[in-house]
This record gives sequence, C-alpha cells and structure tokens, in this order.
Amino acid sequence: MFEERIIFHDAIETMEVDFCGTTFAVNADVDAFYDVVDKRLADSGRSWYFLVVYTDCVIAPEAWERFAERGKIANVKHGLGTVRVGASSQTREEIRQRAEQEAFRSNIFNTRDQAMLALGEMRKRRRDSRAAAEGTFLRVENVSLRFGGVKAITGVSFEIKRGEISSIIGPNGAGKSSMLNVINGVYHPQEGTVTYLGNARHQMRTHEAATQGIARTFQNIALFKGMSVLDNLMTGRNLKMKSNFLLQALYWGPAQREELAHRKKVEEIIDFLEIEHIRKTPVGRLPYGLQKRVELGRALAAEPTLLLLDEPMAGMNVEEKQDMCRFILDVNDQFGTTILLIEHDMGVVMDISNFVVVLDHGMKIAEGTPDEVRSDPTVIRAYLGTAH
Amino acid sequence: MQFFFEVLIGGLLSGVMYALVALGFVLIYKASGVFNFAQGAMVFFAALTFVGVMELGAPFGLALVITFAAMVLLGVATEKVVLRPLVNQPQITLFMATIGLTFFIEGLAQGMWGASVRGLEIPGIQDEPIEWAMDNWGIGISKFDLFAAGVSAVLVSVLAVFFNKTRVGRALRAVADDHQGALAIGIPLQNIWRIVWAVAGFVALVAGLMWGARNGVQFALTFVALKALPVLIIGGFESVAGAIVGGLIIGAAEKLGEVYIGPMVGGGIEGWFPYVMALLFLLVRPEGLFGERHIDRV
Amino acid sequence: MLYREAGQFKATYQEDQQIFPIRQDRIAIASILVFFYLVVPAAANQYWLQAILIPVLIFSLAAIGLNILTGYAGQLSLGSAAFMAVGAFAAYNFMLRVPGMPILAAFVLGGLCAAAVGIAFGLPSLRIKGFYLAVATLAAQFFIVWALTKFPWFSNYSSSGVITAQQVEILGYAFISPESKYVLTLAVVTVLALAAKNMVRSSIGRSWMAIRDMDVAAEVIGFRPMHTKLSAFAISSFYCGVAGALYAYTYLGTVEPEGFNLDMSFKILFMVIIGGVGSIMGSFLGAAFIVLLPIFLNISMHVLGDWVPHGLASNLELIVFGGLIIFFLIVEPHGLARLWQIGKEKLRLWPFPH
Ligand SMILES: Nc1ncnc2c1ncn2[C@@H]1O[C@H](COP(=O)(O)OP(=O)(O)O)[C@@H](O)[C@H]1O
Ligand SMILES: [Mg+2]
Repeated sequence: MFEERIIFHDAIETMEVDFCGTTFAVNADVDAFYDVVDKRLADSGRSWYFLVVYTDCVIAPEAWERFAERGKIANVKHGLGTVRVGASSQTREEIRQRAEQEAFRSNIFNTRDQAMLALGEMRKRRRDSRAAAEGTFLRVENVSLRFGGVKAITGVSFEIKRGEISSIIGPNGAGKSSMLNVINGVYHPQEGTVTYLGNARHQMRTHEAATQGIARTFQNIALFKGMSVLDNLMTGRNLKMKSNFLLQALYWGPAQREELAHRKKVEEIIDFLEIEHIRKTPVGRLPYGLQKRVELGRALAAEPTLLLLDEPMAGMNVEEKQDMCRFILDVNDQFGTTILLIEHDMGVVMDISNFVVVLDHGMKIAEGTPDEVRSDPTVIRAYLGTAH
Repeated sequence: MQFFFEVLIGGLLSGVMYALVALGFVLIYKASGVFNFAQGAMVFFAALTFVGVMELGAPFGLALVITFAAMVLLGVATEKVVLRPLVNQPQITLFMATIGLTFFIEGLAQGMWGASVRGLEIPGIQDEPIEWAMDNWGIGISKFDLFAAGVSAVLVSVLAVFFNKTRVGRALRAVADDHQGALAIGIPLQNIWRIVWAVAGFVALVAGLMWGARNGVQFALTFVALKALPVLIIGGFESVAGAIVGGLIIGAAEKLGEVYIGPMVGGGIEGWFPYVMALLFLLVRPEGLFGERHIDRV
Repeated sequence: MLYREAGQFKATYQEDQQIFPIRQDRIAIASILVFFYLVVPAAANQYWLQAILIPVLIFSLAAIGLNILTGYAGQLSLGSAAFMAVGAFAAYNFMLRVPGMPILAAFVLGGLCAAAVGIAFGLPSLRIKGFYLAVATLAAQFFIVWALTKFPWFSNYSSSGVITAQQVEILGYAFISPESKYVLTLAVVTVLALAAKNMVRSSIGRSWMAIRDMDVAAEVIGFRPMHTKLSAFAISSFYCGVAGALYAYTYLGTVEPEGFNLDMSFKILFMVIIGGVGSIMGSFLGAAFIVLLPIFLNISMHVLGDWVPHGLASNLELIVFGGLIIFFLIVEPHGLARLWQIGKEKLRLWPFPH
C-alpha cells in the first residue's frame, strides 16, 4: 500500500512521496513507511530530488523525532534537494524550526505547481554549477546555417572555456558574425546544437540570450541612436529592473529607488570606460570610436557571464585600439567575464586570446592557441589566398 | 451559382482597377524604396486634371497629352522637392512625407479644378452588360469593366516591354536590385528616380481615367485608391505580378464578402473588409505572396 | 543671464534624475501651470475656452498617445481617431449602463477599452514594421468606425450612431460652464502628460525607444518585442481613448462615429510630426498649431474678402498642411519642440553670443 505512494519521475529526476491522508501516530508507522522508501531508493541506485506531499498528513508529536531522522537519512543517501507541498500549519511550523536548527531549507509551498517551479530552479542551478565544475562553458556542435542558397556556416564545432578570452578569425564572409548570431539566438541554425552552461539547445528566442547572461556588441554599431549615452547604458540593465509601469508612470517609491540604484551601477561602468564627459550626449552625435566604447558599456551594464564582441576595434586608430584592448582585458580580469571576440587585427588577436578558432567559407579550418594557429599551413593558405 | 460567378467576375474586374493603382506604388517602391502614399492622390489629380482640361474645350487626345505632361511635371517636382532632400532618411520618414504630399496634391487638384463631382466619359465605352455573355451564360459582365481589364493588360505588357527591352528599363531594374551597385556602375540614380516618378504618374493617369469613368471624378476616389494598400500587402510591395494577383484577390474577396458575409452583419463591410483581410494575411505571410523573406543582418 | 544651468551642480543622482532638472525649467513649468489653471479660466472668453483651448488640450492628449506609439516606440499608426472613438463610446456606455458610475472612472474605463482594442490591432506589429503596420492600423480605423455605426447597441439605438454625452458631475458639482469643463480637461491632461513624461524617462520608455532605434539589438539585450510593442500600443491607445472620452464629454457633447474618421487620424499624426516626434512637450505645441492653423487661415481669407475664390480656404488648408509636413520632415524633423529647445539654448547663452 505504501508502494503506490512513491512515484519516480525520471524526466525530472524526482521521487514524489505522497503522505496524503496518512497518520504517523507512533514510531512504528514512520518506520513502516520509510523502510519502503529506503528500499525503493536503494533499488534505483541513484540520487533524486524529493517532492513530498503533506496534504492531510498528521504526524503525532511522539513520532516527530523519528520522522525527521529517517527523512534526513534518506536525504543524505539519495537526495539532491527537497520541496514540500501542502503541510498543515502545525507541520509547517515544525519543519521550519527543524530547518532552522539544522540549517537546511524548508522549501514549503502552497501548491504543487509552485513546488514544481522551485524544483525546476533547483535543478537548473545544479546543472549550471555542475557544468561549471566540469568546465563545459560553451560548446558549439556541428552547427550549419543557410540563408536561402547561401551557406553561411557548415558543420562547425568548437568549445570555449569559462573565464578565457577566445577569438574567431577568418576572412570577410567567413561566417564569423553569423556564428555569434547563432550563439545568442539572433539566427537560428538549421542543424546543430549550442550547449551553454550545460543547457543544450537547437534554437532559442533572441531575447532569451540576455536572461542567460549573454551580452553582445555588433559589427555595425547597434546603439539606440536617439538616446543619450546614459540611457543606452541603462537599457543594458533592463532585465534587472522589476517595477511595473504604473509605478514608473508615477515615478514614485520603488520605481524611483530602482532607477537610482541602477543609475549608480551604470555610473560605475561609465567611470570604468572613461566616458564621463559624454554621459548626456545623444549617441548619434558621437564619433565612431566612442560609439564602440558605449556599445561595450551597454553590454557590460548587463553584467554578463559571456560577452560576445563583433570586431570591437574595426575602424579604430592605434590609440583607440589600445584603449579597447585594455578594457577587454580588464573586463576579463576584474569581472571574470568570458569573452568571445571577432577581430581582424592579427596582432591584437594573438596578444589577448587564449584560444583561436579559424573559419573560412563557413567551415572551421583550424583551432588552437595563437601560436598553433599562426603556424598552421591551412590558415596561412587561407589568409594568403584572400585579400581583405 | 450563376449569381456567384457574376459576383466573382465583377469582383475580379474591379480588382483589376485596384491593381492598376497598386502598380504605381510598386514601381516607385521597387526603384527607390519609397512607399508612396500619395499614389492615390496622384490618381485623383490625374482624373481631375483630365476632366478639367476637357471642360476647357480640349479634345480627348489633347487632354490626354496635357494631363500626361502635368503628371510628369508633378512626378519630377516631387522627386526634386520632396524625395531628394530626404534621401537616406528612414523609410518611415519618407512614408510620412508622402502622406504630406497626399494632402498637398489633393488640395492643389481641388484648388485648381474645384471640388464638385464630374462625370468622365471614354468615347464608345458604356457601363452596360455585354449582351453575348448575358444570352449565353446568363451572367452580367460590364463592358466597361472588361475594357478596363483590357487596358490594364495592355499597360502591364507595355511596362514589361519597357522594363525588359529598353535601356532605361534595364537600368531601372538594376537600381531596384541594388542601389549601391547601380551607383557604382555609373547609373545616375536621380535620373532614374525622375523617370520612375514620371512612369508612376502615367500609371496614375490611366488608373484615374478608368476610375473616373466608372465612379465619376470625386474626392472619394482617394479612398478607393487607399484600397491599393491591402492589395500590396497581399501581393508584396516589390512585385508587379503581386500587385495584379493581389488586386484580383482583394476585388473578388471584397465583392464576395459584401454579398455573402455582409448581410449577416448589417452590410457595408466593403469599407474595411480588404484591410482586415490583409491584416489576417499578414499574420500568416508577412512578406506577401510574391515577396521574399528577409532576415535582418546584424 | 536669467536662464542658466551653470552653477547648478547636481550633488546626487536623484537630483539629476528629476523630471525637470534645471531650476529655471521648474519655475517655468510652475508658472505655466499657474497661468493655465488660474489666469486663463478667469480671463479667457467662452469662444477661446470652448473652441480653442479645450480641443487643443484634448488633441494634445491624443498626440501624446500617438507620440508614445510612433515617436517613442517607432510604430506608425493611422488609426488614432478610431481609438478615440472607442474611448468616447465606451465611456458613454459605462455611464449609461452602470448606475452611479463616476465620470472619471468612466474615462479610465473608456481608456482601458481603447487599450484592449489597441492591443488587438497591435498584434500584427509583432510580425511587420513601418508602413506595413500603417496599413494594418488603417484596418482598425475603418473597422472600428464601421462597427460603432453598424451595431446600434453602442449608441443606445440612436439614429446613425450619434451619442449625446451625459452631464459631467463630480462629487455633486456639475461641469456645465466652459470654464469648469476647461479646468477638468486641463486637470486630466496634466496628470496624464506628467505620467507620460515619467514613463518615457523610465525603463518602459527606454524599452520603447530601444525597439524603435534598433529592434534586433533591443531584443539581444533582453527586451521582449511582444511585451514592448504591445505595451506601447496599449498605453498609446489608453491615452487616445481618454482623449476621445473628453472629446465627447467636455468638448462637443454630441459625437458620432464618423466624426472620428481617417482625416482626424491624419491630423493627430500631423500634430506629432509638426510638434516633434518623440517629445511630450511637442505634442502640445503640435496640437495647438494644427488646431489654430485652420482658424488662422479662415481669418486671413476673410480679411482678403472677395479676392479669393470660394472654397479655396479648405483646399488651402490641405496644401498648407501637406506642405508643412514635408517642410518639417526635411528641415526640422524634431519639429516645434526642437525649435523650443533651440530657443532655450539661445536664452541660456544670452546676452553673450557664445
Ligand atoms: N541576414 C542575412 N541574410 C542573408 N545572408 C546573410 C545574412 N547574414 C549573413 N549572410 C551571409 O552569410 C555569409 C557569412 O556572413 P558573415 O557571418 O557576416 O561573415 P563575416 O562576419 O565572417 O564577415 C555571407 O555570405 C553573408 O552574405
Ligand atoms: Mg562580420
């Protein structure tokens, strides 16, 4: 009879235990149930998230100690995390207190849906941290992208590591920009997958990239021309702003506080990029080099985990290039941001990258450290063969 | 069933007339990327000028020539005064400018020729059913509508020859495909645009004559011309074939809708039916029947 | 030397983020408010209030609405008047059918109905841009006016859809005199204009401008296009809806669907273009300009008397409107608001030329 109260949801790595309507009057009741649970868990031979349903479950005070202990054991042996639903106020209080004493999360929710949502969050967090631990930060696998008859990318795979600066190089039209667009969801590849922080995906909506911590600058500056530098940078923080439009319309209380808090953050970036003097200038009026810098600022405002830069130094003079190089290195250094950039200036690429991927005609022709790539005959041929 | 066909054919034939207006839009859009909202006003201007000149005592042929000259003048002036200063502006700015142009042309036309409703007669063509079709099929097809369809067919053929066989026409097509490229190989864009506006003026003249003869020359003509917009949405902005097919679809759908759906909701749906249809169509196929899907480059 | 920013250092971001950061601007706005709230109702005659000031205010509100959509969010609409109609007829029906409905609540509900309709007709904006969208909004224009005329329920079964607005009463005070109607209109418009100003300098406003300026980039940094565009449609239509309700209740008293025709939509668009695309202040300037221009033309025609042929005035109006639109788009795309700005800058430098 206890058997059917234990359900394993393989797809979400979750064991659901339904205490619905059960009464634990004495220790023996607790043991009877938990023996079955333990056995089933042992049989499965792996770990699970626990979803425990307490609706109409009564636990007598004398049984509590045993109940808590058996739960703890199951959790230590086979648990990845626990969410609880529908406990009576008494049970709830008991769990809360124990949670506080023993420093675990009580995770009690009113509805099953809420619990499932929290479970999803838990699983995602774990996946992310595991991916981070394993080192697969971003993996592009066998990606192909076509525009009508034009093959922009053909079967490209590579991997970049967390915390590094990687570069994509290649002649014009090689598919470099398209690659970045695939990574942050602007273009949808016909084939292949992108795995980012342990999440494999085939296609995604463009605006989801930002929620995953991917920011980006564009080859042809894509600033919001009609807005000031400050406002452009503020847009970079949009995902972190929560107040609703009615509060914004009143510009009052939380909305104002939020605006100020983010303004402060943005001012830090303005300082970092040394653009204090042009704060209020409409970006359309700025010279090209400064616009590129502002665009970097907008990307940084989002505090990204992965920063994609499409030719950040194109069209700059030596001095501006040096500045930009310094900013890129600083961002990587100070914030630990992983950077993937496209650049034509070989000197710069070789200087600042840990890893280089070479594309030509949409295909990967080489990859490796700057030194490896530099001496690769295919690369040399590709570069000698094309004027750019 | 007979009734259905009668409505259908009537609709298709009036669709031809929409296509005629839409054609002018497409020409200008293809060559210069400008969505000329004023095409309808140009149609009105042409019809009114023609009637006005006739009233002054000019014979049909002369009136035609004079009006054509006026349209060319109008087109060239528009290119020079309105579009050239706005070159490289966002499309939406150009679009708004042509809305201004619409008001200007309408005011100008009525200011010159007065605002009263006039009749326009094309010698020898009456708006009456063809007896032969009536006798054999029992379907009423207006002689005039058929004539208009014929004129449109001729116009489209002439344009096709113009675009494919003449030097200017080929240059025009080159411009439509690639502005920068056309500049690079030395095609003077401004001349081309002027010619396009003149051709669009000519198309407006033909449309104006047809519409004017059918419904009388009056301000309401500009609303009819607006119906070319849903035609374009369905046909795609860049395709002459699209303008024609779109026109036929809209014409037929509008008449069938009025006859079969109209009574259910109290009638008078012709005014919005094409727009709502275009809107629904947009949701399914935003690039139009003949348009290509573009993915923005970044 | 009077209008100076110099010497006003902002010690905190909070000060810098004020709605009018320059002290003289704050003083100017305050004096303008005093003038319009206190001096005008006392000094202006009935004609000025009823035929000029009230419509200017109402159209300013509609222009703000369209400006939010077109100027800030970059989505062109040719159906503003239809959304005004929705507001007017919805408010009328709430007043008619809900006993004891407060008039201000009816205005708000009218606005909300317009917002809902706006969202429905804004849906195509998710797939299309620019003038494609303009055509879609034409559908709204024609369909709404048709529906309001065709379904007699909307006008409580009056002939040809004409409705007569109920008397406006707030807390027992009846707004009958032009002065009182003017002040009521002014109050509604002030509140909504300030709210609009606040929105456009907050995150929602930035989302609109981002979508307008570079939609792909906006999406890449996380703005959801659907949310952003539909919010612009909803809020814009809300403003138009409230403007429509005021149009019926404080301006004309009797309105019919046909009154909210395409021509009116164009007029509102012209107010935005001439006043200043993407400027709340410009919406007021544009509305005043477009309302006053025909009056001015008419008077000039009268002065010229028999010199000018009959009917020229209305055609001249078309020509002047059309010409001005083109002129502004070419010469000063930011409209009167920009001229206002330039004027202020001149003033800032005065009396020194540099
Ligand atoms: N949006 C697009 N529509 C059509 N073709 C595109 C688009 N984006 C890129 N391409 C094509 O894909 C190829 C690769 O372009 P791109 O990625 O921009 O190259 P790179 O950045 O290496 O210079 C080119 O042939 C280009 O024309
Ligand atoms: Mg590129």
